[in-house]
Amino acid sequence: MGIPSKDRIRAKLKAGNTLVRILLAHPMHTGRAENESGELIPAEFIQDIRCWRNDREVLTIKCGTATARNPYFSFQLVGGQQGDTIMIRWVDNLGAKGSVETTVK
Amino acid sequence: MIDKLNEQRRVLIKGAISASTLALVATSGLLLPQQLLAHWPTDAFSAEAVEDALLALLGQADIADNTIIQFKVGAPPSYAINGASVPIEIQSDLENIEQLLVLVEKNPFPLVMSLELTPEVKLPFKSMIKIAEDSQVIAVIRAEGKLYKTTRFVEVDIGGCA
Repeated sequence: MGIPSKDRIRAKLKAGNTLVRILLAHPMHTGRAENESGELIPAEFIQDIRCWRNDREVLTIKCGTATARNPYFSFQLVGGQQGDTIMIRWVDNLGAKGSVETTVK
Repeated sequence: MIDKLNEQRRVLIKGAISASTLALVATSGLLLPQQLLAHWPTDAFSAEAVEDALLALLGQADIADNTIIQFKVGAPPSYAINGASVPIEIQSDLENIEQLLVLVEKNPFPLVMSLELTPEVKLPFKSMIKIAEDSQVIAVIRAEGKLYKTTRFVEVDIGGCA
């Protein structure tokens, strides 16, 4: 993979509600696939994603192995205004963590 | 002399007590990082049948089909060329949705994701999932204590090795 991937988040107002789109950079190995030399790739997948709006937790997403590689999520939050902060934190099954935040445009 | 012996005895007893408590704490698993980390429902995600996953998560597997959830899988709908990333979109007019589940019947582990929503979250919810082979895809919503379910059949050209 040529381009180093990283977590992305976009939030914008749409008809009075906040539209949030998240793209996380994660291989999401299921633990059942094999690599070129036929060895099993150990499971590595995001388990828990949490979303905050202005320090208030609004959404929890729990994932199994069947969430696609580089997980994408899109949802709306009721109301909101420009300048709200939207923050995402995730944890995978090996304990790796990530967080990303943005302000509503 | 006797005093000194007594003191040593005290120290010994104290040491023994604290050692045994420590051992207890360690074996009870309170210090294991997995336990600190996860409110992740392992038994639901490792269930191999849809019913088991629903039972583990909702305590109920018997849910009537309902048309109140609009549910799209694949693009164009009900068809996916590559099972490794199939778009899904869930829309509903239900209010106060507390929980949303996505399951794929023929996957090795059917439960794909489980969302816990607050009233601030509004559908549609979109994501990408893996689907192993032609299968029923199920969306379950719990709103105000009631359960709703919608099922879609999806054809997959290349299995997603879920």
